[in-house]
Amino acid sequence: MLYKTSIEQSLILSGEKDRFKELLRTRLTECGWRDQIQMLCRQIVKERGVQNITADELIGEVTAKGRALVPDAVKKELLQKIKAHFSQDM
Amino acid sequence: MSEHGCIHLSNFKAAKGTQPYKVIYAYFVACTSTEARKRKAFSCYCYICRCLGPRLHSCLHCIFFGCFVSGHIQEHAKSKKHFLAVELTYGMVMCFQCGDYIYDRELTDIANERDAKASKALGLPISYRSWEPSANEIELLRLHPRRRRVIENSTIGLRGLINLGNTCFMNCIVQALTHTPLLRDFFLADKHQCQFRDQPGSCLVCEVSRLFQEFYSGNKAPLILHRLLHMIWTHAHHLAGYEQQDAHEFFIATLNVLHRHCKGSSAHTHSSPEHCNCIIDQIFTGGLQSDVVCQACNGVSTTIDPFWDISLDLATDIPTSSSESNDSGQKSSESSQKSNEQEPTSLIDCLTRFTRPEHLGSSAKIKCSNCQSYQESTKQLTMKKLPVVASFHLKRFKHSSRFHKISTYVAFPEHLDMTPFMSHYRNMNNGHCGNTFNLLPDNRYSLFAVINHLGTLDGGHYTAFIRQQQNHWFKCDDHLITKANIQEVLDSEGYLLFYHKQFLEYE
Ligand SMILES: [Zn+2]
Ligand SMILES: [Zn+2]
Ligand SMILES: [Zn+2]
Ligand SMILES: [Zn+2]
Ligand SMILES: [Zn+2]
Ligand SMILES: [Zn+2]
Repeated sequence: MLYKTSIEQSLILSGEKDRFKELLRTRLTECGWRDQIQMLCRQIVKERGVQNITADELIGEVTAKGRALVPDAVKKELLQKIKAHFSQDM
Repeated sequence: MSEHGCIHLSNFKAAKGTQPYKVIYAYFVACTSTEARKRKAFSCYCYICRCLGPRLHSCLHCIFFGCFVSGHIQEHAKSKKHFLAVELTYGMVMCFQCGDYIYDRELTDIANERDAKASKALGLPISYRSWEPSANEIELLRLHPRRRRVIENSTIGLRGLINLGNTCFMNCIVQALTHTPLLRDFFLADKHQCQFRDQPGSCLVCEVSRLFQEFYSGNKAPLILHRLLHMIWTHAHHLAGYEQQDAHEFFIATLNVLHRHCKGSSAHTHSSPEHCNCIIDQIFTGGLQSDVVCQACNGVSTTIDPFWDISLDLATDIPTSSSESNDSGQKSSESSQKSNEQEPTSLIDCLTRFTRPEHLGSSAKIKCSNCQSYQESTKQLTMKKLPVVASFHLKRFKHSSRFHKISTYVAFPEHLDMTPFMSHYRNMNNGHCGNTFNLLPDNRYSLFAVINHLGTLDGGHYTAFIRQQQNHWFKCDDHLITKANIQEVLDSEGYLLFYHKQFLEYE
């Protein structure tokens, strides 16, 4: 836990965490993941009625599916960049 | 999910304003300073279980962080009656009395503004935001409830064009322009603001705008481009007359007139595409960097010139027989240098040649601005700025002592990555590499239109292949439109090739 904490902290300090996040966001938009998730949410909200569902419930319903839909190429690219970042720093 | 805030948040704002939200957002959601980043890194964890998230929340009433997943922020809210909390990844506000996240216009605006600042501080491009209609657009949508859905296999946007006697050179360019995605979006969104309101019928941009409406109206009958042709004749005299013209020349002339008319008559002195932000320049203008290196002192002089298209040589510039004279004296040494070289067989070949250093030769000494003497030098062209639409002109027509056409097959890809031809890429390969991790711009393009020329120069005919709806291809032969496939397109003898950038940066 301590190790995880310090890595995460160093990423926040350098601003690199935000950069990685931005890269991920860009890739997920490009590959259509964002649209897929939006459609999914729209469908669920439509079925239940907008008054009968909370954001938390919606998150609960789409999280697993959302994770599964992330293309391997995107995961790989991000992993590679994170690795490269640390091998450069240490 | 409430769309318009809630009574609890309204009461909170009435009592304490938006300042508490602003502070939390600036320090813990989107940091713009190292100071803020330090605080975020070292003091942002759940006060109960010490985890860093996910879904860490900050109490809006007091200094307290709690995770949502293990219910620690909920416990705090309940025990302290602090019912509002800010989620720290996206900055959404949770109201525990309503039991959900709350949208609030004012807070959303604060968040957007802070996000933009934070991106800027990190040198990141502005991130994607989904489109939100303005009040005006909402009104328009309400007034016009009929929606046209573009379904798979829809033929909307496909229209033949009547040949008015050798006007296929115009028809093929119009097909390419009307299928340029970003140009289409501009015109179908009715974005043109006319500079010639007092002189109706004189603005070419208005005419093209009208043309887009015709193309995408759903009507399938072929169109007649009388008006467009006459307007081009009026504004680009060298193209007047019913003879066959060069489609490339027509393309450039059209861009030029459109660019001029975007600016209005007041600005005709500024007709160069430099620093112009009209829609034509936003889409078609790139920057070409030219580095001239002095052989004596290695001093580099760099200039950057705007371009609308890239003309690529197909011939190897050798006078094959002594009867054919060289077309330009100053290039003589370059010709001899190239004489035992193969002709380019692909677009990549052409671009590689186009961007490699070239020795200017002993007969072409240039005054070096660094050592102030006339020296031999090398010159290299690279792409400084890529346009949204990259147009390539394969120089199939040789304008030497007699016209002739080069009909060799030149392969071109469906997807093209321009990275190897970029200025910064070359600089990187020439030594210092800089930071490897960077959000390097994405330079990938995909083909969306090809113009072909069949036959000889004077007796020839132009046709176009155009892409519709991502991956459907059609052949446009004047009034005839037929289905095509990508292989036919790639096998064809391309004359003008149009590529569209796959990913656009937000500005
Ligand atoms: Zn509290
Ligand atoms: Zn916790
Ligand atoms: Zn509430
Ligand atoms: Zn106009
Ligand atoms: Zn312009
Ligand atoms: Zn010099």
